[in-house]
Amino acid sequence: MNMPRSLQGRLLLLVLGLVAGVWLATATLTWFDVRHELDELLDSHLAQAAALLVVQQAAEVDDDHRGVDAPTLHRYAPKVAFQVFHEGRLVQRSSNAPAEPMLEFTGRAADGFKTIAIGGTAWRVFATHGRERDVQVFVGEQVESRDAILWAVLRSSLGPMLVALPLLALAAWWAVRQGVAPLRLVGRVLAQRSPQALQPIAVKGAPSEMAPMLDALNALFERIAELLESERRFTADAAHELRTPIAAIRAQAQVALGAEAAAERLHALRATLQGCDRATRLVEQLLTLSRLESDAEHALVAVDLAAVARQVVADAAPLALRKQQAIEVSATEACMVRGDATLLSVMIRNLVDNAIRYSPSGATVKLAVSSAQGVVKLTLDDSGPGMSPADMRRIGERFFRVVGSGQEGSGLGWSITRRIAAVHRAVVRVAKSTLLGGLSVEVEFPAERVA
Amino acid sequence: MRILLAEDDPLLGDGLRAGLRQLGFLVDWVRDGDAAERELRARAYAAAVLDLGLPLKDGMNVLASVRRAGITLPVLVLTARDAIPDRIRGLDVGADDYVVKPIDLNELAARLRALVRRAHGQPQERLSVQDVVLDPAAHSVTQAGVPVMLSAREFDLLHALMLNAARVLSREQLEQHLYSWGQEVESNAIEVHVHHLRRKLGNALIQTVRGVGYTLAGDLPKP
Repeated sequence: MNMPRSLQGRLLLLVLGLVAGVWLATATLTWFDVRHELDELLDSHLAQAAALLVVQQAAEVDDDHRGVDAPTLHRYAPKVAFQVFHEGRLVQRSSNAPAEPMLEFTGRAADGFKTIAIGGTAWRVFATHGRERDVQVFVGEQVESRDAILWAVLRSSLGPMLVALPLLALAAWWAVRQGVAPLRLVGRVLAQRSPQALQPIAVKGAPSEMAPMLDALNALFERIAELLESERRFTADAAHELRTPIAAIRAQAQVALGAEAAAERLHALRATLQGCDRATRLVEQLLTLSRLESDAEHALVAVDLAAVARQVVADAAPLALRKQQAIEVSATEACMVRGDATLLSVMIRNLVDNAIRYSPSGATVKLAVSSAQGVVKLTLDDSGPGMSPADMRRIGERFFRVVGSGQEGSGLGWSITRRIAAVHRAVVRVAKSTLLGGLSVEVEFPAERVA
Repeated sequence: MRILLAEDDPLLGDGLRAGLRQLGFLVDWVRDGDAAERELRARAYAAAVLDLGLPLKDGMNVLASVRRAGITLPVLVLTARDAIPDRIRGLDVGADDYVVKPIDLNELAARLRALVRRAHGQPQERLSVQDVVLDPAAHSVTQAGVPVMLSAREFDLLHALMLNAARVLSREQLEQHLYSWGQEVESNAIEVHVHHLRRKLGNALIQTVRGVGYTLAGDLPKP
């Protein structure tokens, strides 16, 4: 059977079903119990009556004084019959008893009870034998009469229940309706909220059972609000960050247009191109970040992080050499991680570029990839100016830039790095470098079986 | 007209400085908030262009603290922050104008001229004394309707005197109007420029107040 979808319907069905079930069980138990008691009582009456007849026959039976066909004295009497045999001959019987013995003669003192059919009717018969004068007595009673008593008992005890059941259903319906009223209230409150509303729901008188649900909902609202807020901030920041390069391009182009000296025009045109490159880089980074954040699934395969690191350092080496910096990589043995080679390369390039750009000329940059018990670690140390603890906490915020560094940057590199690390479930730690005194960045990849 | 430009972005700062120079401004460029505040306290600029996202000290804080120090020069805030609350706060803190990047250089120059004019109580675009009319936008001067050719310094000197028509300007004040950083100022430079102006416009216009400086002679026309 399908449960109704409404909570109220479910409750009603369960309550009424249980009541009806209990009621039926009670009725069944009562039936068996009453029948058993009734059988005991009436059987004992039959036995008593039979014993009485035997005793009476032993004292009084006289062949000349036969009282066959004893009178019917009660309306119940036709339902009860007896036969008395003396030395095999019927000497006395009730008017409704047959002439043939109801049971076979066995000669035993007490044969007990038997249920037999006489003329299409079921009888309960008790047979007994008096040894003195060879008296055989049969006392029978119609089984139907017992059933009639049983039914009467059941009717009187269970009848009122039948009347009560519809009333009970009505009462249960009302009670259940009252019980689930807070649910309907919460439903109404939710339905009336504006789609933009993200403040926590507070329903007065909400039952304690609903608290976990409301708490979960409120937590969800909070997360959504945070997400929306971060999106809003991102849009505002992105607009802000894009406006400055565009303003620079516009100003420089205008200067080039208005320049009278060739050198001035040339300078402005070069600056215009530089501005375009910067805007392009910024847009590319924004796109990378937005792709990273929208693509939930990245196909992660076995990647040798050491090889990726070596390639990135090889690519970045010319930039470092131009700044007379020493860059070295220690990643000789293969360190396999589950990852996306392109993303990992972007992440390492961001880190290495940062180290090179923010370290003065003559500085040292060291990249190391190592593996221990399946945990792969990438460490980047530099001898640059490092970072204040406050700045370390803020890196990774989108568009955050360390002020006064004198370096151009979008402030997106760290966001991208952190995002890529998150895709690989890697942990990024930033600290003061104990090795070189500048900044130390550590990316730790979780230990996992690489297929 | 000498203005202070506070902008941390190298490309944009360079472009604004070059562009405003082309349009006849003397531009001192600083790249952080501390330097901006220092310069604004040290020198009398005709106006300032202030970016809000400055390193070391936020532009809004620079503005608030120079206003608290009683510095009243016109300040044009040039920023990428375009949210209405930012604009309102900028103007309330003491900006005279609030412009969102990017901006046309000619418009920026016109806004600066307007700010400077209003700061000196001159509602009209052109300044005139006696029969001399100076048009800051066109960078031109006429006397009795006849154009007079002036050098950039001579123009700036006359502009400064006309803006402050009712006051006497000292030699040092005039030097600050005429020269930006790094430009050699010869000891008698102002006297030489005044001499040239008198030769071109007649002796009656500029009066010397001995031991103090220079001022313009004659009544200003009632606006």
